Amino acid sequence: MKTISLVSLFILGCLSLSCSSGAAGRRYWGKTEPPKENVLRYISGSEPESLDPQIPTGQPEARILMALYDGLVEYHPKTMEPIPAIAERWEISPDGTEFIFYLRKNACFSNGEPITAHDFVYTFRRGLSPELAAQNAYLAYEIKYAQAYNSGEAFVKDKNGNFLLRRDYKDTGKKDFDSSGFGPDTEFHRFINSPARLTVPYAEKELEAYLKDNPQMREVLKDKELVPVRAEDIGVEAIDDYTLRLKLELPAPYFLDLLAHQFFRVVHRQTIEKHGNSWTRPENIVTSGAFKLAVHRPYDVLIAVKNPEYWDAENVSLDRIEFYPLEEQTTMMNLYKAGEVDALYNNTVPAPWLDEIRKYKDEYLDYPEATVQYYTFNITKKPMDDVRVRKAFALAIDRFALAKFRKTAKPLADFTPEGIFPRYEEVRKRVYKDLLKEAGISEEEWNRRYFDPQKACRLMQEAGYEVVSKENGRCEVKNFPLGDVSLTYNTSEVNKAVAEFIQAQWKQNLGITIPLKNMEWKTFLPFRKRLEYTGIARAGWVGDYMDPNTFLKLFYGPNNDSATGWHDQKFDQLMNRANSETDPEKRFEYLARAEFYMLQNQPVIPLMTSATNWMKKPYVKGMYPNPGTLHAWKFVYIERDPAKWDRDVNEDLLKREDPMVEAKLAKLMKTQLDFQKRRRGE
Amino acid sequence: MLYFIVRRLLIIIPTALLVVTVTWALIRFAPGNFYTGEKQLPAAIEENIRKKYGLDKPWYQQYLIMIGNIIRGDFGESLKYQGQSVNEIIYRHLPYSATIGILAYLLALAVGLTTGILAALRQNSFLDYTSMAIAMLGISIPNFVLGPILVILFALGLYVLPPARWGGLSNLVLPVVTLSAIYAAYIARLTRAGMLEILRSDFIRTARAKGLDEWTVLLRHALRGGIIPVVSFTGPALAHLLAGTVVVEKIFAIPGLGNIFVQSVLNRDEPLILGIVAFLSILIMFFNLIVDISYGFLDPRIRYE
Repeated sequence: MKTISLVSLFILGCLSLSCSSGAAGRRYWGKTEPPKENVLRYISGSEPESLDPQIPTGQPEARILMALYDGLVEYHPKTMEPIPAIAERWEISPDGTEFIFYLRKNACFSNGEPITAHDFVYTFRRGLSPELAAQNAYLAYEIKYAQAYNSGEAFVKDKNGNFLLRRDYKDTGKKDFDSSGFGPDTEFHRFINSPARLTVPYAEKELEAYLKDNPQMREVLKDKELVPVRAEDIGVEAIDDYTLRLKLELPAPYFLDLLAHQFFRVVHRQTIEKHGNSWTRPENIVTSGAFKLAVHRPYDVLIAVKNPEYWDAENVSLDRIEFYPLEEQTTMMNLYKAGEVDALYNNTVPAPWLDEIRKYKDEYLDYPEATVQYYTFNITKKPMDDVRVRKAFALAIDRFALAKFRKTAKPLADFTPEGIFPRYEEVRKRVYKDLLKEAGISEEEWNRRYFDPQKACRLMQEAGYEVVSKENGRCEVKNFPLGDVSLTYNTSEVNKAVAEFIQAQWKQNLGITIPLKNMEWKTFLPFRKRLEYTGIARAGWVGDYMDPNTFLKLFYGPNNDSATGWHDQKFDQLMNRANSETDPEKRFEYLARAEFYMLQNQPVIPLMTSATNWMKKPYVKGMYPNPGTLHAWKFVYIERDPAKWDRDVNEDLLKREDPMVEAKLAKLMKTQLDFQKRRRGE
Repeated sequence: MLYFIVRRLLIIIPTALLVVTVTWALIRFAPGNFYTGEKQLPAAIEENIRKKYGLDKPWYQQYLIMIGNIIRGDFGESLKYQGQSVNEIIYRHLPYSATIGILAYLLALAVGLTTGILAALRQNSFLDYTSMAIAMLGISIPNFVLGPILVILFALGLYVLPPARWGGLSNLVLPVVTLSAIYAAYIARLTRAGMLEILRSDFIRTARAKGLDEWTVLLRHALRGGIIPVVSFTGPALAHLLAGTVVVEKIFAIPGLGNIFVQSVLNRDEPLILGIVAFLSILIMFFNLIVDISYGFLDPRIRYE
């Protein structure tokens, strides 16, 4: 027995020793020494599915692929706005549906071959080909005929050889945009600017299903010829070796932001055609980015080394990036503390550690993320088919208390995340003011939408429930059909804690105890999608690009992704008007109206905007807590002089000017800014 | 004996196929797919994916293709990790698990057998009580507790060993110790019990009466019978250790097979799940066979007809 107590004493002693060596009094958490070599050791999350930039959909892959591949544009390291990359400058047609990119002539692949506009044409066509079956293909659906090509559709040709036009048969709310005067006149440009052709499914089975839904088309298609949409028909054109033109279905100002996405980064045709599926193996791979693949040991490490052939190699600071694919939060925190890694990916600091970690002000990054957390209602089933009940449930949650409880979140009552789209938020504020007046809602009442138990009780009463008032404006709803409602979430510690917190809120404020259910992730997703859940389910959404559209489009169309069963013509019309608007200000106005209208129907309960929640050592510079935690790696560098290390990173790191970063940015932006100036002067 | 071995080897094949079939059915019944994600795919994209991977064929056709491939020893390509074959993944990640597993196994045997024998020889002594108490502790502390404690002590407190990841010899210490602890403890207790029983039996008394020295009695006669319970425990245990232990691999970020196995289930990566299941079931049955054979050598009373 004596030995045991001695052993436990030893363990306790060591534990307290290890705590005291890392805690208060120390400026940094754990070992803080820059690596000897010019290398960044980064925890990148799950093992990448593939190193083919057009295949994976996750953020962990995105970060690795951003190092390996370059696109027309790159993300601005702080704002994620597009900055020149292989395209040194670009212009947009007056109607906003065409882009011309002027490529730099010194860009080349990792094998030294030049990158031309034809490589981009190949990349875009490949990404959309049905055979590749890329999950991300929908990102390119804004390109004219891209969706039709990816979905295996066909044009319809009549006996005289004329193609039927969309506007004569289908009311999609989409207009035709003609920008034939933009850039050089070519045969393809004339074709792509002609009024949109009608497209229908080509495969027999799908065509039959389509005709069932659209019986009037059966007559139309009689003795017409179906001509499959080919890769060559999509709105991507190489005007010459170094000029690329894109044609969109509608003015989509956000499309430029989207082009920095890995899906649009350029791939090497010969390598892919030669090696097929195995082209991404280290012995075969040819890449286009600032770094190239050196070592890939799955689940262990992926090492990318600086690519000397890269057009901007002189501005690439790191010699090497080591990506460690792991997801265990405690393990990565251990590695970080032991000084074996220099930075983590987002949402990695475990909740119980937050109070401690927050003290390390030079290392912990807490910035809003382009991600919303919300709950969905199944509005197809009782009692959630009643908008008053939905509103009551939304109002009975104290968002501020929830955000405080979560520690890494900001309260959210709208659907677009807070603090991510400042320009949109300005417009929205103005629009909401008008809309509130129209709807007869006082500003005071509106500001209480983050938590308003009184109104919640009132709404429940209006919905016909027996409500007994209690103190502090709370109440107890007597005859709520508990058996018909539950709150379902996908299994995780955090989701459970949040669900329990909200369950307690409803109990406190409405006297309703909603039963909780949890499910494994892949079981949960189809369950929610098919509206098999009763009552309420958890959801989260990460923006694909820096525009409110990426959030609001969730509710667009009859088969939308909201998993609520909500679909509304008026909302769709507002979205259509927004997305055919060329004036950005007016476009935001329509989007704000759409957002307001949707939330008045409350198919979802917005809960919080997530925070970035990650750490980096103070000597890692040029790496910013941008809304997507997507780092343009060429700006990242290791600072060896402790006097220049990052301090108080949560104060205003995004506004601080780092001469190293600013100089690189200025040089990159110059081509585009000069070009714009010249154009304005003309 | 030979007949016995051949018969057992032949049984492995249909059993493994049965295991694979049941697993395949279970995966098919599980909701969700390898491409299911937060972002719903447009129907056309989902259709493209299903066509690409042959998921649009009727289920019996898919089953026959799968079984046919497995009989040929080809588990196909992973659905999640494009361009990587299942065989290649198993082949690549097995060595990590096996290295840690074998080292932990050897450590557990060395520590467990020594303490077990010593405890049995000095029954009811201070040594016996302490070692058995520690063994009890080893059995009751799960590795997901032991691992982090060791990390806090040696990696974050004293900064003498790396806290995780694959690398040099120093990276092996913590995971191997963590993994072996529970096995060492079991082996120690089993050895002690087995030895105590044997040491009291008649043939040991006879051996001693013949005037053999104590070491010969112990090693040639007592140990052989005494470790039979240990053998029946460590045979399957070795199979588990070789094939990877999920928890330890997760804690120490070791790219082993256990880690991959769990991930493949979460990913609904059907070919990879089937490949690993088939591989594991064959491995376990094989080790059980070896255990059964070794009984015959260890205990002259056991004979196979």
